[in-house]
Amino acid sequence: MAKLTLMFEEKTVKEVSLGARPVGIGRSPDNDLTVDNLAVSNYHARVYVDSGKMVVEDLKSLNGTFVNEMRVERATLKHGDSIHIGKHHIKVDATGEAPASYGSGRQAATPKINETMVLDTKMRREMMQQAAALGERTQLASGRMRVPTLVVLGGKTDRQEYPLTSKLTVIGKSHLATVRLSGWFKPKMAAQINKQDDGYYLGAGDKVPSVNGAPIQGPVQLRDGDQVEVCGVRLNFIFRE
Amino acid sequence: MRIVSGGQSDVGQQRANNEDCFRIVPLLNLFVISDGMGGEAHGEIASAMAVETLVKACAGEEPEALAASAQMQPGWSDKTRRLFNAAHLANKKLYESAEANPEQQGMGATLSAAWINEEKLSVVHVGDSRAYLLRSGVLQQLTSDHSLVAEQVRRGILTAEEAEHSELQSVLLRALGTQPEVEVDAEEHALFPGDILLLCSDGLTRMVAEQKIAATLQSESDPGRAAEKLVAQANENGGADNVTVVVAHMEPKENGFLSWLRHGAQKNAGKNGSA
Repeated sequence: MAKLTLMFEEKTVKEVSLGARPVGIGRSPDNDLTVDNLAVSNYHARVYVDSGKMVVEDLKSLNGTFVNEMRVERATLKHGDSIHIGKHHIKVDATGEAPASYGSGRQAATPKINETMVLDTKMRREMMQQAAALGERTQLASGRMRVPTLVVLGGKTDRQEYPLTSKLTVIGKSHLATVRLSGWFKPKMAAQINKQDDGYYLGAGDKVPSVNGAPIQGPVQLRDGDQVEVCGVRLNFIFRE
Repeated sequence: MRIVSGGQSDVGQQRANNEDCFRIVPLLNLFVISDGMGGEAHGEIASAMAVETLVKACAGEEPEALAASAQMQPGWSDKTRRLFNAAHLANKKLYESAEANPEQQGMGATLSAAWINEEKLSVVHVGDSRAYLLRSGVLQQLTSDHSLVAEQVRRGILTAEEAEHSELQSVLLRALGTQPEVEVDAEEHALFPGDILLLCSDGLTRMVAEQKIAATLQSESDPGRAAEKLVAQANENGGADNVTVVVAHMEPKENGFLSWLRHGAQKNAGKNGSA
């Protein structure tokens, strides 16, 4: 069984063994390893076993948790590692415990890539921040909030204008359709407009609609100002500012 | 509308155990899939617990959780609200179980659930399992993946193509059971006769292209067989992960005359056969 030894300078303060339960480290007396120092948070860090590996996790402490001088949020531990918290350090003794496959190189909480994992809030924030510079540029380029809207140019419909607020828009006679057609022999679902990550796509329903006079071959992305025609109804697709 | 459905789950070609879980509740027209994660057998526990909790809550067997009603949209139907609550409850159960059992540390699960009531479809979703709707030959993804690469694509940092080859495909931004509270996506859509609903784990969408999925769904009139075929295709393409598929067909209700014609014809066929 792995052992954790809390040291102050060269003196041993306390020793605990790591079992199934996480070992709590912090200033609060209900921790397994209590570190009486104002630089240490009440619940500073914990050490636990995850899939056979020992892991130290910083519990969003003010002054941080360090493994072999490197600040970590979460890191796998190996025999001989030293966790620094405030002026104390904790020696990791995993004799006969560490799995053979466990490499000698330090990998700060790097997951096995083909295993699904979830980023915790902190990691998520950091990873997204790295990408933010690029992302912001893209978002600025896309400009202000613009609402895609269908404006009726001709034909019988229940309204003159339809802001496309839903992911799925149906043009047809059905009472469930967004753009409701009236008149005999109109199909329940004449055509559809679906929102995807990169825009709005017009697709066929029971009829094949036209865009700017040409019948579509498959789903086509609608552009600002396109004219859509289906079942005698003409619609203008525009982005309203 | 009459709803006919079928589902299939398989371990795939490369994994030792199946951490996916699905459930079809025909009485409620409720369809649920979940993909679990966590070491040892905990992924299986997680996905089973997510599905079980959600189904029970929708069936009214769990006390109505007071999940973040502030996040609910005023226009939602009762069923959407209940489904939304149920997803929050599933998160809570998983999280509490992981807290209480140290060996379950790090377990979590995705969740995609669809509940059909009359012509209204309610969908809730957390993670990277997906819900799709095939309508007049157009396959539309209803859910947005809560994965790092999908988020990067949405922000224009990665192209869809780059995302497909990224090593970070398995990194999720949200899952059930990893945090005390989770953000749940919920949506309502109108359903039309002829629509086909698909729920699937990432083991399908990473192995089989959407075009091929659409073609299979269209060509197979039996939803159960469609699910089997899709699972088989994922396995033929390598089956790198567990693969789970649920397919539901919205079939038009036959009106009296058509039904009379068909049943009359069948009776006659029977008579002819015995004669």
